[in-house]
Amino acid sequence: MRHSRAAARRLTLHPRRMLAVGAVLVLVAGPVALAPEPTPGAAAPAASAPSSNPADRGTELYLQQCASCHGEQGRGTQRGPSLIGVGPASVDFQVSTGRMPLSREEQQARRAEPVFSADDIGALVGHVGSFGGGGPQIPRVAPGNLASGQEIFAANCAPCHGATGAGTALTDGWTAPPLYDATATQVAEAVRVGPGLMPVFPSQVLDDQQVNDLTAYVQRLRGERLDRGGNPLGRLGPLAEGLVAWVAVLGLLVAAARWLGRRAGE
Amino acid sequence: MSARRPSASERAASRRTVVAFLVSAAGAVGFAVTYAVGGDTRWEGVCLAVAFAGLAVGLAIWGRRLVPVDGYVEEHEGFAPPPTEQAMTAAVLAAPDSPVRRRGLVAALGLALSALGAAALFPLRSLLPFGRADPLQARRDTPWGPGVRLVTADGRPLRLQDVPAGTAVGIFPEGHLDTGDGPAFAVRLDPERFSRPPSAGHVNGLVVYSLLCTHAGCPVRIYLKGTGQVLCPCHQSSFDLLADARPVAGPAARALPGLPIEVGPDGFLRATGDFTVPPGAGFWSSP
Amino acid sequence: MITGRLAQALDDRLRLSPITRRALVKVFPDHWSFMLGEIALYSFIALILTGVYLTFFFDASSADRVYRGAYAPLDGATTSAAYASTVRLSWDVRAGLLIRQTHHWAALVFVAAIVLHLARVFFTGAFRKPRELNWLIGVTMLTLALANGFTGYSLPDDLLSGLGLRIITSVVESIPLVGAWLVSLALGGEFPSDEMIPRIFVAHVLLVPAVLVALVSLHMGILVRQKHSQFPGPGRTEHNVVGSRLWPSYTLRTLALFAWVLAVLFALGGLIQINPVWLYGPFEPAQSTAPAQPDWYVAWGDGALRLFPPLEFRVAGHLVPAPFFPGVVLGGLTFLVLYAWPFVERLRTGDRRQHHLLDRPRDHPVRMGIGVAALTFYAVLTVAAGDDIIARLLRVPIYDLLSVFQVLVLVLPILAGALAFLTARALHRGGAAGVGELTRADLRRAAHRSPHPPEGEGEPETPALDRPGERIELWPEGDLWRWRYRDEARHLVIGGNRALRSEEEAISASRLAYPRVDRVVVPGPPPAPPPGPIRAALRRWGRAAAVGSLLLAALVEKRRDRRERERVDGPTPPEPAEEAPTGDGRT
Repeated sequence: MRHSRAAARRLTLHPRRMLAVGAVLVLVAGPVALAPEPTPGAAAPAASAPSSNPADRGTELYLQQCASCHGEQGRGTQRGPSLIGVGPASVDFQVSTGRMPLSREEQQARRAEPVFSADDIGALVGHVGSFGGGGPQIPRVAPGNLASGQEIFAANCAPCHGATGAGTALTDGWTAPPLYDATATQVAEAVRVGPGLMPVFPSQVLDDQQVNDLTAYVQRLRGERLDRGGNPLGRLGPLAEGLVAWVAVLGLLVAAARWLGRRAGE
Repeated sequence: MSARRPSASERAASRRTVVAFLVSAAGAVGFAVTYAVGGDTRWEGVCLAVAFAGLAVGLAIWGRRLVPVDGYVEEHEGFAPPPTEQAMTAAVLAAPDSPVRRRGLVAALGLALSALGAAALFPLRSLLPFGRADPLQARRDTPWGPGVRLVTADGRPLRLQDVPAGTAVGIFPEGHLDTGDGPAFAVRLDPERFSRPPSAGHVNGLVVYSLLCTHAGCPVRIYLKGTGQVLCPCHQSSFDLLADARPVAGPAARALPGLPIEVGPDGFLRATGDFTVPPGAGFWSSP
Repeated sequence: MITGRLAQALDDRLRLSPITRRALVKVFPDHWSFMLGEIALYSFIALILTGVYLTFFFDASSADRVYRGAYAPLDGATTSAAYASTVRLSWDVRAGLLIRQTHHWAALVFVAAIVLHLARVFFTGAFRKPRELNWLIGVTMLTLALANGFTGYSLPDDLLSGLGLRIITSVVESIPLVGAWLVSLALGGEFPSDEMIPRIFVAHVLLVPAVLVALVSLHMGILVRQKHSQFPGPGRTEHNVVGSRLWPSYTLRTLALFAWVLAVLFALGGLIQINPVWLYGPFEPAQSTAPAQPDWYVAWGDGALRLFPPLEFRVAGHLVPAPFFPGVVLGGLTFLVLYAWPFVERLRTGDRRQHHLLDRPRDHPVRMGIGVAALTFYAVLTVAAGDDIIARLLRVPIYDLLSVFQVLVLVLPILAGALAFLTARALHRGGAAGVGELTRADLRRAAHRSPHPPEGEGEPETPALDRPGERIELWPEGDLWRWRYRDEARHLVIGGNRALRSEEEAISASRLAYPRVDRVVVPGPPPAPPPGPIRAALRRWGRAAAVGSLLLAALVEKRRDRRERERVDGPTPPEPAEEAPTGDGRT
């Protein structure tokens, strides 16, 4: 995680090199491992007028960065899934968390610094929306109730992301990522979209108020980090604590005993 | 008395000892102050640690630099008792008036004591609940049964459309939200993809399985959307819901028990029976 | 002054001075590894002290209780009283979190110190006759420490510990015939029972600690009765203990260790967060969290549960589930082997003698190999309990990692054991001082079958017999007699630890300690004390002088005051000397 973020930071520092590398990587990028399970809600197409005006920023970015895998009309290729009907929330989530465009070929895109500015992301979202298909909108996050959020989190999110939000390993090299970098909107988007192996939580399962409560709690987990008791050791739990205990026993206590245990003269 | 002054190194050691004890006292004061002004875990810990560390350093310097350091020897008698001693003790124990000699009485005493000891075990029975089914039966039974409605964690009864594709919904028997063996989950799958039909059946692709891992009983709450698998966060057993929840990897050896369901006349989902097998970890008489 | 009078009053009534005198001069061997058990003892004391504090605030009940307090996400939530009171203890009770975290850290350190102590005792053969009894008590204390650690981990009724409790319940349930009955007996019903928390609480704060305290006392009582073992060395025989006396040298050092243990525990408790139950949330039977691990000392069991393949079989239609083997069988075997080891080894070597001189670990390559293999085995299991964390951090597929661990847990112990066995044999045969000094020839020799008879038999019982330079010196000191051992060749002088009432007593004591050494009676204090005692004597004198001068200064000061105030009479010059009342006559 840190590695990839550092790499991304380096890239943003050198935009030109970034573009060159990005282009190469987009070319070599393998099949995007997003589980191809679009959520075709009952929503009507509601496609806005397709504007393939090359001057349009969204189109330009899409063709530059996305089309090689997802196809010019978003129908998908061997390398990437179709984007028709994924919805604005999904596009915004993938791009604003820096997971898309893929910086290199890998099974699960990792969080990184976003490649595009907020305006560009908006333009991209608009362009992908023009492919049609509806899909979840970008949720508007409102303040929520922490207590209710805690319950919803424990029931639905803690099994994968951990009660502390530290994330865990899933099967086949997939992971449920830590939640500490996600913004409120991104959390809500992930809940509605279900990126990767993550289940989706449409409004039959969690209504808007519940999502607000949930994001409020996740922000609390993330923001203050609630580590009242000192260094959280990455919130990895008892084994990390055990490691520290052993280091303390060997490095501090046994070392002291080694010094105290022999006579000064010896 | 000798007028010899303490050596330089010894004076230095005493000085350091005093400084260490002063630091310790400062730590103690710091702790009290931290506590009094409102308390902060870190500062409290640091102050106490400083207080005890000062004490430790002072005592250590004192013990190593300011007291005699030469070696001493203590003799060791060994543990082989002198034979005469042993014989005398034995003689006292086995004297003519010794109770040990009255074999009959000793046997009777032994009987009485064993009876008492056995009787003392009876109150332990109270640790087992009285008036309830025996543990094995309790272990087999769950609150599920014909007609029990499926509700969510907040007690809402569930309709078919409340379980969309791509998600897992936690399910409880109505009126039993807190039982250990009741929790289940519902997933909607494409019936075309079933490689083995669900043993408990399905309603339009909706299947319900026990939430408890058949390995060690943890809730199998990680649903890997798209793969149709669930994963146990405790010991990483995974189960393939498309193949009747057979274990596919990890230490679990048995499939998750399914729950037979139907849509009731009120439009809500309800069970038509108990789980196909008792849920949770295996035990001696699980089928 | 007051303490002196109090001591005298006590002595007049209980006649403690003979016992105290013997106790104060008890000799402790000067080797750091003898302090490992003390680390465990002191963390146990820290556990009791912090634990008592926690009981004032902890509410051991499964009944519903509404938490109201500073932790906003749970404010107003209805949870079990146990959980709510733990969150309150952590967020709303001043210094509560520090004490709670220190308690938990102390538990981790306690078991770690026990394991180190056990390893020391094992590798040096300190469990041999006559100390088998203390070995048994020690292993029992280890099991109790594990049990109490686990119950303590379970008490807050949070989500993580609830999962742990559920797993251990499942493991117990897997026992053939009686499993479900045992669970019901322990919990008073099926798994999340209302009696669960109160019963665990009673076990955690009353039952197990009481037994532990009794066993600790017994352990130390036996230790005092049997006296310490010691490593072989100059002047050390099977019939003596060489080292420092309890008073004052060892007392100060061990108190320093006590204070240091507390310092480390409070530093950990204040600076490093442990078991943040408010983040885990209350236990609900349908919820889970990941990564889910127990505390390190039971993690080997969890690792075994993860690694053991899904093998189950049926006996006459009855199921023996998979957790039975890694859970019950492995755990049972572990402690069975630990309990049985001294007797198995005695059976194997036929060695029935008493041993007060320890083996160096290298002296016993077989024991070394087995011990290292066992430690490696449990270490791999413990690491395997974190396979999900490792998989996430290294970004490797978890089942690949699982397979790697399944191989490692079988292969690594064998490799490590063999390596330890060969190293020990090379050191033993080659006589190199340390692993760094081993030569290729040593290793080659170690790889071959033994040119010597198998070890453990026919070793000389005492390393150094009757060398010409050795002698015992006795001398009268007032009414009392003292003795010491001198080895001219090594410039070694070791004093007897106490004054004796007659020459005969001194002779018999020295004869006991050094059975084959010629005795020389030195009339009067010996002429030229060797360098060690000189330094000591000088220091003592120096200290006495310091005390004296302080006293003098104080008295002079006081007298001046008095004179200035009263100006009546010239008091007698102050008498500063009654210095060094405990002077042990090494001058």
